[in-house]
Amino acid sequence: MREDISKISKWGLGLVFLAALLVLPQVLSYSQREIAVLLVINVLLVASYRLMTLTGEWSLGHVVIMGVGAYASALFAKRLGVPVPVSMFLGASTAGLAAAVLSFPLFRMKGFYFLIGSFAAGEVIRLVWKYFSTPFGGPKGIKLIPGFPDIGPISMFEPENYYYLCLAVVSLSLFILYRIEQSRIGLTFHAIHWQDKLAESVGVGTFRYRMLAFVLASFFAGLSGALYAHYIGTINPTRFDVEEMVFVLIWAIVGGTNTFFGPIIGVVALTIINEIILRSLGFDSARPMIYGALLILSVLFLPKGLEGVVQKAGRIFKARKAPEPTVRREQNA
Amino acid sequence: MTEIILQTTLNAVYAASYMSLIAVGLVLIFGVMGVINFAHGELYMAGAYTVVALYSHLNFPFLIAVAAGLAFVGLLGILMEYSLFRPLRDNPLGGLIASIGFLLMLQTAAVLGFGVRMAHIKPPIQGKIELLGAVLTYQRFLVIAAAILLLTGLYLFLRKTKIGWAMRACAQDREAAALQGISLNQITRIAMFIGASLAGVAGALTAPLVSPTPYMGHSVIVTAFIIIIVGGIGHLEGAVVAAVLYAFVHTFVTTFYDGVVADIVGLVLMLLVLVIKPTGLFGARERA
Amino acid sequence: MRLTSTPRRISRRELLLTSSAAVTMLATTGAPKFAFGADKTVKIGFLAPLTGAVAAWGKPGLDGCQIWSDRVNNAGGIEIGGDRYKVEFIAYDNEYDPGKARTGAAKLIKEDGVKFIMMLGGDTWPGVQPMAEREGMLVSTLLPSDLTPDTKTLIAPCEVHPIYNVTGVQWLAENKPDMKTAVICAQDDALGKPSVATYLAAFEAAGIDVIDEPLFFDPATTDFAPVMTRLLSGKPDILCLDTCYADYVHPLCEQAFQQGFQGTIISCTADFYPKIIEKTSKEFMEGFVFQFPDFDDPALNDANVNFSKPNEFFQEYANRFGESEWSAVSWEYASIMDLWADAASKAGSIEPGDVLAAMKSSGKGKHAFGDADWWGEELFGIDNALVGNWPVVVIENGKAVIKEYKSIPDWWNQHSDLVIKHFRALGQMWDQRG
Repeated sequence: MREDISKISKWGLGLVFLAALLVLPQVLSYSQREIAVLLVINVLLVASYRLMTLTGEWSLGHVVIMGVGAYASALFAKRLGVPVPVSMFLGASTAGLAAAVLSFPLFRMKGFYFLIGSFAAGEVIRLVWKYFSTPFGGPKGIKLIPGFPDIGPISMFEPENYYYLCLAVVSLSLFILYRIEQSRIGLTFHAIHWQDKLAESVGVGTFRYRMLAFVLASFFAGLSGALYAHYIGTINPTRFDVEEMVFVLIWAIVGGTNTFFGPIIGVVALTIINEIILRSLGFDSARPMIYGALLILSVLFLPKGLEGVVQKAGRIFKARKAPEPTVRREQNA
Repeated sequence: MTEIILQTTLNAVYAASYMSLIAVGLVLIFGVMGVINFAHGELYMAGAYTVVALYSHLNFPFLIAVAAGLAFVGLLGILMEYSLFRPLRDNPLGGLIASIGFLLMLQTAAVLGFGVRMAHIKPPIQGKIELLGAVLTYQRFLVIAAAILLLTGLYLFLRKTKIGWAMRACAQDREAAALQGISLNQITRIAMFIGASLAGVAGALTAPLVSPTPYMGHSVIVTAFIIIIVGGIGHLEGAVVAAVLYAFVHTFVTTFYDGVVADIVGLVLMLLVLVIKPTGLFGARERA
Repeated sequence: MRLTSTPRRISRRELLLTSSAAVTMLATTGAPKFAFGADKTVKIGFLAPLTGAVAAWGKPGLDGCQIWSDRVNNAGGIEIGGDRYKVEFIAYDNEYDPGKARTGAAKLIKEDGVKFIMMLGGDTWPGVQPMAEREGMLVSTLLPSDLTPDTKTLIAPCEVHPIYNVTGVQWLAENKPDMKTAVICAQDDALGKPSVATYLAAFEAAGIDVIDEPLFFDPATTDFAPVMTRLLSGKPDILCLDTCYADYVHPLCEQAFQQGFQGTIISCTADFYPKIIEKTSKEFMEGFVFQFPDFDDPALNDANVNFSKPNEFFQEYANRFGESEWSAVSWEYASIMDLWADAASKAGSIEPGDVLAAMKSSGKGKHAFGDADWWGEELFGIDNALVGNWPVVVIENGKAVIKEYKSIPDWWNQHSDLVIKHFRALGQMWDQRG
């Protein structure tokens, strides 16, 4: 009985949230809508990153993989004339394929070695973009990437419309990512993270599952790259460098990686702080310092990330409504 | 031709010297605390700016400024240890992220204090040694001598003193070391001081030879990562050997091919090591 | 006032949201015209990196613009179409990221209602391009390699990098005919490569032999000793530092000095050259050829020079920010504003389309170093680069001196095929770029 109520309230909350997302562009200014588009794309990036981290490996190459999707999709569309929606899918698939190939050297490593190995692999990919001017355009990258085709009178150049497109694509992707995590495969990822030797001993091929997580995460990272490339219209090797990767790490960790929604909360909160609040306060040169300080403070004082705060708030709220003890959800930490 | 080879060798020895100071500091911090200090390049930058402030602006003697750079950056290291790495001891990833936050703060502090442009340092020592047509300036010689001196000192400290012994014990197994009655806090504080001050002194000594900018840390950290991977993470002697190896390969390839090719060779070297022997050329066992 | 080039449905909500733009819209169209007195303000966007590693190419330019607007506003503003306008700069830090540049352009155009946007260009321009095209916004860049036949509203009105570098080589060949061999190095990026192509063409035109392949180094290089060892191994007469950034020019010169180079150095820039002299010697730097004068140079008071009161501008800059902060970027954005103000006055309008038309109407424009031609068709596919005379600057007795203004078009008319050949070989022609 209570299960049902909580289920209903969960769905209700979800619907309210969805409605809020749909109305959002209507209350934002034009340039804030531009920020919203980039934010939705980054939500997919960071959510796909979390899938990767489920197996316990932290990659420093995820943004480069996003770039693989962006470059591939841009080239398919621009050089081969593939329709943009198809090229986006192909771009994402290329990113997945690249991950499959990279699995062989990278999954010989674990932990810190994997972290650095993924960084090195990413740097090599970026060097390839830089030094093979055909077809990658060298240090200046690719310009004038065809945009998403207009749907009737709806111009996909307008941030409002592209926001809705991204929202649809990203929501679907998040749904798939969520279902993967809840499925047997997702549970196996967790098992590999915490007890890889044990998992292996009961016949789980850890390499296969690590590779699967990497490929799936890379597919969605590549998709986010494709969404970016066809909106901004230009990409270059610097756009996907380790500095950008650092931001993804920051979003994930400040948000908290224990639950599916943690990294998403992280990217949303930090983007609003950095792009809207700090900019409007006019701290131009001091902005990175404030960002750095926020980062340190949140790591020190919010060890479970922002999601921990949200959960706590949720628990307090629930406790007030229903005084009987709630069942504690088993955390993965 | 011999002239070029000799000159290139001297260039490589110099590059090896300051890179090993930086890499050894990074390895020490990782070894004792298990955390990757992403802000290590910015500690190097802070050392360079100490020289800018004291030597260029306030006209202190150069060597005093270098000593101050060593001490100041060492203190920055203690500050990081106390406020970041100690509270995050059980959370290496959190430590990494906190060091990124610290990096951003140091960078911004340099921008606000000194501007985004390169800083200028008048040469403290003029003159050069000429050797069969090859040239080594006193300034570069100073860097080489200081690196040899400091690294030898560190080696003796780690081998011959009680604290050094305790530090190595911590690097091998922190829990076991703590059980033996070693004060982890004290050891990590000292390790952080030494690790940071090595980066700081490298920055201070090379400041007149490069053009300090608030973003200079960026270019050394990638090289430092390559070196500690090749040498084996947490392996001090390995870091020195890898720094020498990397410096020679990079310098010779730059001279005989191209600077860009040299970077590719460096990265490929690292990838090869990672794929064939992930624990590095000198690493013994795998750390998961 | 025309906000968009194509008719667009503006809903009530949007009108309310872009209220600041709407207010200016009413102010310019609805309000009765006041007779004189600077009661109107024209907003100019400054969309360049203000933080991060590329900030040195943006921030000093914004500082220079503040001096420019103070000068203009204190004098009562600019007279445009019978009204006097004060000028206000609105800056947006694009962090040298194309996505953020697009957001910035959207804010500047849609919300702040700017009439002209100055950019550094480079990586960030392609992010702005679609927006600028749709809105008909006039945009300037410091990097003409952004120009293509499609960039109708993008102008490169100040620094037509790297083509002016030919003047230095030409001067060198004329004045030091015994210099016969050269070597060249550059950082491997979007600025270095076209510049190398230009220098190669200029050396070829001057009959100077480039004895080694151009040496490219990574922008993250910190130690330049190996680079210099390689360069000097062929014992060249001329050492060409291309368009290296100041943080490379300084250590490169120092290494050249230490490794015993005896010849002449030629470079695009020599920012903070007194500091290079400190690191080397006055004798070593004597005869160093480059392209960017100090603005206290008396030769800038030449009647042909359009930059207004250069010596006072330099003094004011030195007073506000310190003499050692002066660099090429300090005056370039301000000089673009001179050109804009002149064109707006001529057009009698602040609207981007009208100003652009007035700028290009006669095929000539008022460039900082003298009246110049709109040019670029052969190299960039569009005549949106302003090219005329450019000064050749030489260090003499520790001080940069303008030796001569040389005509770029004259050189181009004789040797254009060489530039095109080398641009093509390095993949830098507009049709080869991405």
